[in-house]
Amino acid sequence: MQQLRDIVIVGGGTAGWMAAAAFAKVIGTQTHSITLIESEEIGTVGVGEATIPPIMQYNRLLEIEEDEFVRETNATFKLGIEFIDWRKTGSSYFHPFGLFGATIKGGVGFMNYWLRWVQSGGDPDFSRFIAEGMAAREGKFARMPASPDGQLPPINYAYQFDAATYAAYLRRYAERRGVVRREGRVVDAEQNSETGYIEAVKLADGSRVAGDFFIDCSGFRGLLIEGVLNAGFDDWSHWLPNNRAAAVPCRRVEDPTPFTRSTAREAGWQWRIPLQHRTGNGYVFCDAHISEDEASRLLLERLDGEPLTDPKILRFTAGKRRLGWVKNCLAVGLSSGFLEPLESTSIHLIQVAIMKLLELWPMRTVNPILIDQYNRELDLVYDHVRDFIIAHYKVTDRDDTPFWQYCRNMTVPDSLAAKLELFRERGETRMAPGDLFSETSWFAVLYGQGLVPRSYHPIANALPADELQVVLAKVGAAIKQRVDSLPSHAAFIERCCAARPPHAA
Amino acid sequence: MTRRIEQVAVVGADAPAWMAAAAIQRSLGGAGIRVRVIELPTLLQPVDAYSTLPELAGFHYRIGLEEGLLFSACKALPVAGQRFSNWSGAAPPFIRGYDQPAESGAGLGFTQFWIKGRQQGLRTEFENFSVGAMAAKAGRVPIPTKDAELRAGFGYHIDARAYTALLKLFATRGGVESKSAMVAGVETEGERIAAVTLSDGERVEADLFIDASGAQAVLIGRMAGAEFDSWREWLPCDRMLTASAKALSPFPGFSQISAFRQGWTGLFPLQDRTAVVAAYDSRQISDQGVLDSLSAFANLPVNGDAVVSGLTQGIRRRMWVGNCVAVGESAFSLEPLDAVQLHIVHQCISQLMTLFPVEAGAFHEAELYDRIIRRAAINLRDFQAAHYKLNRRFDAPLWDGCRDAAVPETLQRKLDVFSARGRVPLYDDETFHEDGWESLLIGHGLMPQSYDPRVDAIPEQEHIAQMQLRLKDIVGLVEAMPVVDDFIGSAELQRQAEVIALG
Repeated sequence: MQQLRDIVIVGGGTAGWMAAAAFAKVIGTQTHSITLIESEEIGTVGVGEATIPPIMQYNRLLEIEEDEFVRETNATFKLGIEFIDWRKTGSSYFHPFGLFGATIKGGVGFMNYWLRWVQSGGDPDFSRFIAEGMAAREGKFARMPASPDGQLPPINYAYQFDAATYAAYLRRYAERRGVVRREGRVVDAEQNSETGYIEAVKLADGSRVAGDFFIDCSGFRGLLIEGVLNAGFDDWSHWLPNNRAAAVPCRRVEDPTPFTRSTAREAGWQWRIPLQHRTGNGYVFCDAHISEDEASRLLLERLDGEPLTDPKILRFTAGKRRLGWVKNCLAVGLSSGFLEPLESTSIHLIQVAIMKLLELWPMRTVNPILIDQYNRELDLVYDHVRDFIIAHYKVTDRDDTPFWQYCRNMTVPDSLAAKLELFRERGETRMAPGDLFSETSWFAVLYGQGLVPRSYHPIANALPADELQVVLAKVGAAIKQRVDSLPSHAAFIERCCAARPPHAA
Repeated sequence: MTRRIEQVAVVGADAPAWMAAAAIQRSLGGAGIRVRVIELPTLLQPVDAYSTLPELAGFHYRIGLEEGLLFSACKALPVAGQRFSNWSGAAPPFIRGYDQPAESGAGLGFTQFWIKGRQQGLRTEFENFSVGAMAAKAGRVPIPTKDAELRAGFGYHIDARAYTALLKLFATRGGVESKSAMVAGVETEGERIAAVTLSDGERVEADLFIDASGAQAVLIGRMAGAEFDSWREWLPCDRMLTASAKALSPFPGFSQISAFRQGWTGLFPLQDRTAVVAAYDSRQISDQGVLDSLSAFANLPVNGDAVVSGLTQGIRRRMWVGNCVAVGESAFSLEPLDAVQLHIVHQCISQLMTLFPVEAGAFHEAELYDRIIRRAAINLRDFQAAHYKLNRRFDAPLWDGCRDAAVPETLQRKLDVFSARGRVPLYDDETFHEDGWESLLIGHGLMPQSYDPRVDAIPEQEHIAQMQLRLKDIVGLVEAMPVVDDFIGSAELQRQAEVIALG
């Protein structure tokens, strides 16, 4: 095969349409053809989907206008995640986007000064030192640039939207740019007898779609990447035992909160994602500890609004496709792996796969060196996210059910164990350049889950005690002033980007 | 409550020892930490110079050292890049400029545009699009400008003895105590150094011992498991010759690194002289052989002050054992290519400061320090090994051998991915980022076969216009920079020279 011309995307949904839209924008349909095959029969679930700030990079690539995008997907803004009952029942903490405190010139990270202050009797609630956390608590939101003195960064945010309308929005975007959608269900593939490369897929109606490169967005089963190319799967369920989710939308009962809520439950956790027109809910659980029926019943019981449908059950196994790219086929979305949406990383992992594929896109022939490079880079991304999610389960005081007893006592990956140890000793979380979660994120979650560092960086002791008070007071005041100036989240949406017309729920 | 570190002893000589002492004193003096230097006899000769990377300015800022002092007290000259010649047969020399990466969130760097241009017949060399390289070529100094999108920094050539004296003065004024002595013995308790005994019989105790003694490794060399592994397999030079020549006029804006059949020579211009270094493989040429040909290799009459020394390149298996931390060449060492000499020290000190132990009894940080410094060292080693691997000299066994020999897997991956796609896969703890690697690899003739497809989204006319605009911008920026001679003689530097009264 010489020129890679015909790109075939197998499967629609969020992954398929995100891939189609990005390829339509970057590669275009002048010199290439982009075909997406999806089946109405299979369908997707319109659960609320929460995202993290790097989604801005994807939107920028597509040159999407933000307010229009928010309107069309019934989206709300998200400043972080509230974790309830995770450390122990009755406790809560907030994992905000954004920076903890401010930059201390000539010093070490803010958290060291804060830890010193707490160790000498200061208030251990860190939320007033993070603008995003404070704004979330007060139900406020606005876009805001960095402070003029450069001490405070821009308000950092993401979105919460309806995954089905998001896919529909991207579908319109892609189709306007020449992507061809084919209705049908893929049942088989033809491989080159020598190279094993996929040459075409066959649909249930007997038709055949040929292509040079295939993007497998067929979901968890990995129709091509696993079914045809046997990429293999690394099962991570010993670290992340949850394997089911019951999902149901409910009626909106209050102004949407600018954050996602995650509440720990007896055998997993429950999400609450507020959209403009309704609220998405779900119970992620492990079926060894609770039955599907029982989980669904408890979910319905714990909604804050009237359910709009029956709960739908999703089944999965935590883990990662051993190779996300094999020959001329790349897995995007659930076909490349599954990590529960505890930190809203599903769309991000889709985005990373697409962006990396574009960066390494084979212009002429598929180059094994670049395939190998892609697979290595994706491993690093998955491992990092995996460790962060595992930390929520491992670091907890909860032992009230067999599920939590298991989590508390499980052995974690070495990479995470080393991280926890360093944090326990000195409050430090070392970041690698490509890491998704920042020091603030690790700090918020580990501290929030109950891991209190024994010490902090010695350089924080070089500041005289009275100056430390002044520094903390100043930073706190600057953050408070910033948050005070924000409008309510509901008012901001109403002014800039309310969905039209309001959906009859 | 565990006991905090109170006493730090730095055992070493020259700039590394004083850099370590000054950094610890500056950041932790206020937290009640006392720093004492056991100053070993100097290893420096009057001809020695340090060639530094722009990153060293960050170190000076951190410890509060006024940069102007380097020019007034250390005979320093600023350089915006390094010029490599004779590494590739008939190919013209290239300059690796000290550009500062442009901040672009999209991850689509200029290099991708250049590769496409090149494939479509563009003749302009890569270095012409580097503001650092063009400043260096023009003998100008890229003074930091705030708003310019294209930016470069500069490193220095510094007189090594004068720089050491400056750091010593600065550190002792800041409260560092010191004593000149030799180490007679080291008392250990398990993996911990209890005390160091000096030649005059004094017994020095400390919570933390810093080994800044360079290749002598007076402390770390005695610790269990800290054996030294050689990198000669990839870096064949094992001898070094240092000398001087007269000052160049006008002052050039770069270091000149030229390969010869058995090694390379470096010319490092200073205000009062030009430092000359030759690194070579003793299996290929004798010391006398290099001495005899030095002026020819350097293309400059060299003074009769040459000093020969051994050059050992490699890394210790452990760099932090118990309460003993190696910084600089006592941890790992490389030949003075790419201005890494003081950078190695700087890197170790930064990491030590980041991981400065919280407790005097237990050193949880040691393993992490080892891991990070090892990664950083391997990245630097690979950068240097790439010069050898990519050479296109077909006239000598040294160069044929380097071209044919396998390189470490970490480097091979970079070469392969860059060759396939013009993208350098970086690892954690890299000194040189994309732009540094790209200019090295392209400079030595490794031409990528393809580029990022996002480049194709930009219409051809616009692509050409953007390239031309960049060239024009660089010409404008460089013309506005002072030439080195003017920069050195500027009023501001003179003022600073008068303000300080040294020694």
